[in-house]
Amino acid sequence: MSDHEHSHHGHAHDHEHAAPEVQDAGTQALAEALRSSFFIVKIVMLLMVVAFFGSGFFTVGASERAVILRFGKPVGEGDKALLGPGWHWSFPYPIDEIVRIPITAQQSVQSTVGWYFTTQAQELSGEELPAGGTLNPAIDGYLITADHDIVHSRATLYYHVADPIAYTFNFSNAELTVQNALNNALLYTAARFTADDILLNRQTEFKEAVQKRATDLTDQESLGIVVDQCEVQSIPPRQLAAVFAQVLETREQSASAISHAQSQATNAWLNAEARANTLTNQAAVDSANYVSFVKADADHFNKLLPQYRTNAALFAEQQINLAMAEMLTNAGDKWFIPQHADGKSGELRLQLNPEPPEPPQAPAGQ
Amino acid sequence: MTIIIGAILVVIFLLLLFTFQVRVSEIAVVTTFGKPEQPSIDKPGLYFKWPWPIQHVYKFDKRIQNFEDRFSESLTADNNNLIVTAYVGWRISDAAAFYPKFPGGSIATAQQMLENMVRAAKNAVVASNSLSDFVNADPSQLKFDEIESNMMQLVQSDLDSNNYGMKLEFLGLKKIEFPESVSQAVFDRMKANRQKLIDSLSSQGAAQALEITSAADSQAAKTIANANAEAIRIRAEGEAQAALILPTFEQNPQLANFMFRIDALKQSVNKNSTMIFDERQPPFDLFQSLPTNSVPNP
Repeated sequence: MSDHEHSHHGHAHDHEHAAPEVQDAGTQALAEALRSSFFIVKIVMLLMVVAFFGSGFFTVGASERAVILRFGKPVGEGDKALLGPGWHWSFPYPIDEIVRIPITAQQSVQSTVGWYFTTQAQELSGEELPAGGTLNPAIDGYLITADHDIVHSRATLYYHVADPIAYTFNFSNAELTVQNALNNALLYTAARFTADDILLNRQTEFKEAVQKRATDLTDQESLGIVVDQCEVQSIPPRQLAAVFAQVLETREQSASAISHAQSQATNAWLNAEARANTLTNQAAVDSANYVSFVKADADHFNKLLPQYRTNAALFAEQQINLAMAEMLTNAGDKWFIPQHADGKSGELRLQLNPEPPEPPQAPAGQ
Repeated sequence: MTIIIGAILVVIFLLLLFTFQVRVSEIAVVTTFGKPEQPSIDKPGLYFKWPWPIQHVYKFDKRIQNFEDRFSESLTADNNNLIVTAYVGWRISDAAAFYPKFPGGSIATAQQMLENMVRAAKNAVVASNSLSDFVNADPSQLKFDEIESNMMQLVQSDLDSNNYGMKLEFLGLKKIEFPESVSQAVFDRMKANRQKLIDSLSSQGAAQALEITSAADSQAAKTIANANAEAIRIRAEGEAQAALILPTFEQNPQLANFMFRIDALKQSVNKNSTMIFDERQPPFDLFQSLPTNSVPNP
């Protein structure tokens, strides 16, 4: 044993005998302090544990859904992975992570790759910059059509998210991807339609084709959306607005002329039908009348025949006088020319087809 | 209790030290003393690793990134200048290959490299197609999809051959335009075509209107003619029916003839007729016997 150790033991031995009460009280106080500290630490740790697990409560709002990622992996698959509005609990980070996905009833993207340079403010105020002689590809958008013409088209695609997990976790910017699909749809569809078809003849077909292409692309890209509707607006280049307006005007005039001709044709057909019906009806009436007339004549003949056979001359005289009386009754003018005293017949002169008198000529200079 | 809590803390500390998470939207690569371990981790979950400095984990966004190249002019096979812009959807497919190629695994740097590849592919594909392959009313001649597919194959092939750890998910054309100077010529052509269309519409409208009215007139005339023929047939039928009655008159043709003439006379006179008589015609011959009409004897 060294001197130091010996000295130390000796010193300690002195203390044991000198102040035993003071040592016990100090130890006790220290022990008490340690116990209190440990107790506080325990309470704090317990509170931390409670706070740790309590922090797992969260709410999901009405216009959002939530997905729990447990160690980075979605809990559940498909719709089952989506937590609806209300209170939910998950393990706190780093075990679980809550990803909130905004859900709106309908979203929309607009494509202006086919539209000339303008701003919404300019458009609303009607103060767009006047069209120049050319289109600058750096700022002006347009579409080349199947007949190598130029048109302006812009489209708005309305859609809703059917698979929020794919929409959120597979794309860094899903909305931009949808917009690019719409851009491509406009470009692709215009490449298959002529300018006149896009602007005049097949506007609805063009719109439907744009929507179909956009839908096909978003399906191929597995964006997890459902396309609800697509609106397309197309106009001719502003530089050619006047000539296109003239085309429309001429088309209207042509259609109007054709419509007028059709109306005339309908009238002609109706008149002809009416006239034809009149002719055949009149013929039927005439025919019936004629047969009736002949029958009546025959009946009349049968009734008169006995009288005629009795005295033909007297019968004839009677009939002639009856006919004469009837004719004199019906005739508008009856002229009787008596015999002159010398026994000669009176003379009547008639001027047939007289020429109309010439109108008096106006005096010269008037 | 203290031991349990302590143990939990130790476990948490060890987990943080020896594990790492890969999110559903991430792809990760583990390096051991700086050397990438194969393969990359692209499935979400909890993974083991040795603590730093033995191993280090690099995580990247594995979602599809959107990229659009700047517009550039290319010459088609039939010598048309076209300004084509493409958009690309790409993702990191192999983080172990990707991160050494680009400082810090920078997506922006990767997209700068991608832009060069897309431009080269675009020029090559545009040069092998004519304008009518891009735009055509005949679907069988339109090669729009084929052009996009060829561009994508070229870019993907370039990426694969250089082992960039990148994969194209889609490539599409965003803009196809003419150079500014060409747009004026297109406008001139369009204007001339519309002028022709105006003339054509005008004359076509008039011609069609004339065609419609003349067809209607012709049809109307035909209808009237048919009706006349039908009327004649109806009348003939009536006359044939009446002819069946004629034998009645054969009992006494003189009387029949007399009656017909009397009827004809009656029908020939109406209110517009003027009848002129003298004293010799009955019944006015009665006036001859009257004393007022006789010549007085000298």
